[in-house]
Amino acid sequence: MSGLEAGVGAESDTPRVPGAPGSAGMRLACEGASFSYEEARAPIPALCDVSFDLRAGGSLALMGASGSGKSTLLQVIRGLDAPETGAVLLDCAGPADAGYAALQREVGLVFQAPELQLFASTAREDVAFGPRRLGWPEAQVTSAVDTALDMVGLPPAHFAERHPYALSGGEQRRLALAGVLAMRPRLLLLDEPFVSLDPGTRRQLVGILERLKAAGVTLLLATHDVDLAWTLCDELLVLGEGRIVAAGSWDFSTAGGRLFAANRLREPFFVELWRRLGRDPQRAPRSAAEAAEALS
Amino acid sequence: MSYSPDETAPLFDISGLHYRYAGAQADALADLDLEVYEGEFVAVVGANGSGKSTLARLLGGLEKPTAARRALACGHDLLVEDGRMAARRDVGVLFQNPENQLVAQCVEDDVAFGLENLAWPAADIGRRVDEMLARFGLEELRRREPHMLSGGQKQRTALAGVIAVPRRVLVLDEPTAMLDPAGRDEVLIAVREMRGEGLAIVYITQEMDETVGADRVVALERGAEAYAGAPGGLFADTPLVRRLGLGLPAAGELALALAERGRDLPGLPLTMDELLDALAGAT
Repeated sequence: MSGLEAGVGAESDTPRVPGAPGSAGMRLACEGASFSYEEARAPIPALCDVSFDLRAGGSLALMGASGSGKSTLLQVIRGLDAPETGAVLLDCAGPADAGYAALQREVGLVFQAPELQLFASTAREDVAFGPRRLGWPEAQVTSAVDTALDMVGLPPAHFAERHPYALSGGEQRRLALAGVLAMRPRLLLLDEPFVSLDPGTRRQLVGILERLKAAGVTLLLATHDVDLAWTLCDELLVLGEGRIVAAGSWDFSTAGGRLFAANRLREPFFVELWRRLGRDPQRAPRSAAEAAEALS
Repeated sequence: MSYSPDETAPLFDISGLHYRYAGAQADALADLDLEVYEGEFVAVVGANGSGKSTLARLLGGLEKPTAARRALACGHDLLVEDGRMAARRDVGVLFQNPENQLVAQCVEDDVAFGLENLAWPAADIGRRVDEMLARFGLEELRRREPHMLSGGQKQRTALAGVIAVPRRVLVLDEPTAMLDPAGRDEVLIAVREMRGEGLAIVYITQEMDETVGADRVVALERGAEAYAGAPGGLFADTPLVRRLGLGLPAAGELALALAERGRDLPGLPLTMDELLDALAGAT
């Protein structure tokens, strides 16, 4: 757990203007969180005693086999499902603390295939839905929508009045992301955001997430894509059958490799390349550009 | 009754195919040609919205072509209702969103669904379902309700149901999209085995590395064919790849990044092994 606990302290006390763009990221801690789904026969445990700590502004890849509890964990962190035991702490505050509900509103969750939930008749109205529900004044809503559309590469001058269904699948995915970003989350949870995107849109989304990370937003990225997880995330959390089986820095030692295989994962491409080139896999590049730099 | 008697005829024989959604301003598929023969593995790529999933629905007999010079699937004419009904039986289609494909109350019933429709004897269905559950690691989930499964588990269940029915041709629309890396490998191995058994497979994907072993790759651009041929030929045309919103397999992306820095590798590597050979040869 050491890697995840690093950085506790100063960041979480950074003063910030609520809802202001570029405000510092949120610190997240799960303490013994458990959750089960009710099914006809018996409850199915989905999360079991999950504890970890992600520093403000950190980036964490949430990985693990299909059905290991990744989506459930994101929903519990977002507050859509209450943990049966344990708690989700946001900036060190728990559910009993004053201001917890306000902190929860600064947690953004981008669902799997979020474009399926687009519903308004223009892109602007769709993105404005969340900020309006937060009760923001209309001028602030408008500027938040414009900023969010720009951020996801859908400039409002060209896209704001378009019908969401008239956009391509990749544009719809980015519009749905804008709807979450417009509420200016300080902690952004993403559930398989790259699935079914074409490679060009994937590159755009990686760029958007890199900019959010640079702006200090805390990122928690659930994905099966080990290559993009390695590109984007400083740290790793692996779930297996609802329990944490690894947390902290990426570990490409022999033991780390066994853990990857046991959890249906594989090493990132550049890590395998570095190993096969006889180089140190821990120092493998995070992108093709970095790899080319090191090899030329 | 069920298949074209001519074993050498293409399983898909499509020429000049057009499809336009009701009320749309432009064709979703425009003047498309496609021939797929027994044992062929044809990858279909293209940006989001380029028409790939529409093509899957047409090949499976779920939509009526707006127009076509010729549109045959397993010998059935997709331009007429009877032909589409027959194609729905003979063409196995895995849809992009497994939610739309799962119908039964539990996983094993879902996998058995297609076989029950064919009125297989119960004992044969049981054996076949067991085989499929084992192949996709679903044994422990066999009595679970499909809507309670994770995305990857749903996708494996849907795929097991499609593959359970013996067929000569499959259309798979992003079958690995929701899968963990090991699940992806399992699907790719299953696809390779079926290819070895002589099935024709049309394989829609956004994962460029999954196209490397294809007999042919067809790239769509706004519903029209922008490229058809060997995978290497597509990836060698970098301006086309970028224009289509695609990319190269990781090895190829690295080779391009090296070339930009003045280090040209021999050939264009598309796999890890090819990349290592090229790096060794270039030094």
